[in-house]
Amino acid sequence: MPNGLTKRTMTLNLSETEMRALESLSVQKDLSKTAVIRQALRLYQLVDSRLSKGEKLFFEDEAKREKAELMVMI
Amino acid sequence: MSSRQKCRLKVPERDDLVEAELVDELSKDDLVRAHLDWAPVRLEALKRLHAAKRPWPEHWHWDWSKKAEMLDLLAYRCMGIEQGGRMQGLMMLSTIAVKGRLAVQAGKATLYIEFLESAPWNLRELVGIPQFLGVGVRLLEAAVVFSEEEGFGGRIGLHSLPQSEGFYRKYMTDLGLDPNHSQRLRYFEMGAEQVRYFLEGRKP
Repeated sequence: MPNGLTKRTMTLNLSETEMRALESLSVQKDLSKTAVIRQALRLYQLVDSRLSKGEKLFFEDEAKREKAELMVMI
Repeated sequence: MSSRQKCRLKVPERDDLVEAELVDELSKDDLVRAHLDWAPVRLEALKRLHAAKRPWPEHWHWDWSKKAEMLDLLAYRCMGIEQGGRMQGLMMLSTIAVKGRLAVQAGKATLYIEFLESAPWNLRELVGIPQFLGVGVRLLEAAVVFSEEEGFGGRIGLHSLPQSEGFYRKYMTDLGLDPNHSQRLRYFEMGAEQVRYFLEGRKP
């Protein structure tokens, strides 16, 4: 099925460390580097939208009974 | 910009097939139009069910015009099947991968189907004889193909309302009640091997 979205190409400048992180995520998740970047953008926009509406983002460790708000600079 | 692809639906009254189009990216306006088209038909059908003291479909309250705002975000995408100028079914996908739960694909990126619904005139429990059959399967196929395009290997997952469990059990693996789901629904997943059989039109 052809994808309706027109794709545009850009050059992404990353540091060695950032590139290693991207490559590591790509291997871990079995996704292409482009797919990892797309996932990150979708997630970032979703989180930004929810935070903008006054919602909060938490990480919870049920075993340790810890819950911490993730403070994001947006 | 969306694209359209031909597909076929069954017309049970004539025991015939009819050509339809899968629209791979619907707009908010498309969802509002579908809601306005579906709502009066659904209402009439619910009145009949109420009078006959028969159970209502569990998703009777779904309102696609309210789901339309999800499309402001890259995290969601809606597809539909159109025939005769009317939406015959709608499917909302989450484009943020979830972790696969089947043992063979545990942790692997999987496409999650948020909502899938056939038009009210295609639901046996609402109208007796549906106008078209096969809408749900065509939408599942579209989800599998989209999952492949996204690099998720065709893997798809969803939580099913109890009335739809039988349908999904035909094509997907039932992983049981999900204690973490807000409505404690059963979770279903289609793995890579099932995808192969599914797209070939065969059951594993």
